[in-house]
Amino acid sequence: MAQFSLYEEEYHPSPWQRTWREFTSSHIAVLGLFVLAIFLVFALFAPLIAPYDPLQQNIDSLLLPPSWETNGSISHLFGTDALGRDVFSRIIYGCRVTFGSSILLVMIAMGVGVTIGTVAGMMSGVRSSIMNHLLDALMAIPTLLIAIIIVAILGTGLVNSMWAITLALIPQFIHYTRSFVRSEMKKEYILASKLDGASAWQLFRHSILPNMIEMLVVQGSLALSIAVIDVSALGFLNLGAQPPLPELGAILADGLDVAYLAPWNVGLPGLSIFLMVLAINLVGDGLRSALRKRVSH
Amino acid sequence: MRILLRFSILFILTLLVLVVLSFALIYLFPGDVLNNLTGISAQSEAHRDMLVEKHRLDEAYFFQFTHYVSELFSGNWGQSFVSGLPLKEEIGRALPATIELAFYAMFIAVVIGIPVGCYAGLKSYTPVDYSINSLSMVGYSFPVFWLALLFILMFSLELNIAPLSGRISLLFDIPHRTGFILIDILLAKDIDTSLAMRDAFRHLLLPTLAISVISTASMIRMVRRSVIDVLNRPYITAARSRGLSRWQIFSRHILRNALLPVLPLMAIQITTLITNAMIVETLFSWPGIGNWLIQAIYQRDFPALRVGMLAVASLVITLTITIDLFNRLIDPSRDKYERGTI
Repeated sequence: MAQFSLYEEEYHPSPWQRTWREFTSSHIAVLGLFVLAIFLVFALFAPLIAPYDPLQQNIDSLLLPPSWETNGSISHLFGTDALGRDVFSRIIYGCRVTFGSSILLVMIAMGVGVTIGTVAGMMSGVRSSIMNHLLDALMAIPTLLIAIIIVAILGTGLVNSMWAITLALIPQFIHYTRSFVRSEMKKEYILASKLDGASAWQLFRHSILPNMIEMLVVQGSLALSIAVIDVSALGFLNLGAQPPLPELGAILADGLDVAYLAPWNVGLPGLSIFLMVLAINLVGDGLRSALRKRVSH
Repeated sequence: MRILLRFSILFILTLLVLVVLSFALIYLFPGDVLNNLTGISAQSEAHRDMLVEKHRLDEAYFFQFTHYVSELFSGNWGQSFVSGLPLKEEIGRALPATIELAFYAMFIAVVIGIPVGCYAGLKSYTPVDYSINSLSMVGYSFPVFWLALLFILMFSLELNIAPLSGRISLLFDIPHRTGFILIDILLAKDIDTSLAMRDAFRHLLLPTLAISVISTASMIRMVRRSVIDVLNRPYITAARSRGLSRWQIFSRHILRNALLPVLPLMAIQITTLITNAMIVETLFSWPGIGNWLIQAIYQRDFPALRVGMLAVASLVITLTITIDLFNRLIDPSRDKYERGTI
């Protein structure tokens, strides 16, 4: 019996297409993605967008208010700081330093964490439990504390603070990868591959990794928002990026001296950190619920 | 019983790792090993030899370490480079201040977060839920130092409602007993207790609020997620078909099952909470451990950093393990014999 079919071909969207469709159904997540894209453009093309050199001091225009205030001028969109540096240019370069270094360190942490986590997940017995205990000890130390100790050993600087945050992020990746790999290893498709004679590396490369990518994307977005907050917090506490390097937290700390006179020096850099973190969280949250809905449909 | 044993082994092992780390820091920190350990700069060669002998720095690493551990237990934590005071005393003053701040923030997070989260979860996917969820997302995204600065600018400088810094006005002479300011006020004699309490509350207001915004937001999100998960379970449908009222279903089935998985998540939040408290302390000159450690790093006070790190990390680990153990004991659905983890 011929089956009635309205369409000649049945179209099966790929998993990624379905995720994207669920993702775009949430407007607020798309807005977050848009804001995140703007920050990414700022990070990539900072020299082209910024109207001034972020370090160029101008004694003639100190503490100029932003352009929307009556005393402000359009030549300095967000006003100037206590040394006459253009705040808009500094924020754009600040996005580059903060956002860029956060992405970099999340990628490093993810690489190291996934490697160790997979090895720990495939391993069993005393070795794995010793490693778990060591990691758990590291995980319980607050990031700020790890950063303080690393700064005490190596000295202040953006790169050293990045090491500290990477070190603090790695255990989370290990933790999630380990439990994921462990639960996955018990499933039957892994057993089937094993019976086919797949080596541990082949198991990881062809069976586990494709299933793990979604978890990694979600965890990565969480880690990224933590990383942005931590990089700027350390910059703010003067333990990370050192002035005059334009890092959003360090800019905020600079503005603190004139906070009463020129509140925009505190407000605008903080606002950009806030927006950046908010956008990352919105995208991460949208992704998570899109993945959840895709599985449940 | 077995579970208690497992957790105590885990606890002792983790503490041992931390002590080894803090011992390694003596050698890792720049500068003289003797200075990093004791905080005393030797006055002469003879003095130096005496100190080296006293702390067994001339012996093998293993014996140095055992001596270090026994010194830690007997309370000789060395002294600060800068102030020359015993570190144990300084930490004994600073740590309670941080615990107090973090505790009140956690309290607010629990009192506000759980009801609001439950409400949002029960009304899931309605406009009310969406607005609560978006608000909590906004609160969750605030960098704590910026939020605290905004509070200072708004409430302290513009509106003049709350004081800028410190724990209590200097006019009140509160003797140090427990280190928790509110308890100390109650214990103190010869002061106007109600006046002092009001002043202490005004000092507490802004820092607590700044920390609790973030903790509350994450609490709301965790509770909401958990409630939604529980709502989809078959036993809720069963309860509904048995004809229980909405309130009965909520109080008997949803609330208990939803709050159990939140507890371990709360344990993870403690690290964030303490970090936030430490950052906020520096802004409000709150005399807590965070402020103390930041001052120590500015002044390169290595003995203080070493012991401070040990104290804070031990505190966090103790809290985390206690919460996890508690959760394991009251939650029958979890395997009693699974390995303890943090």
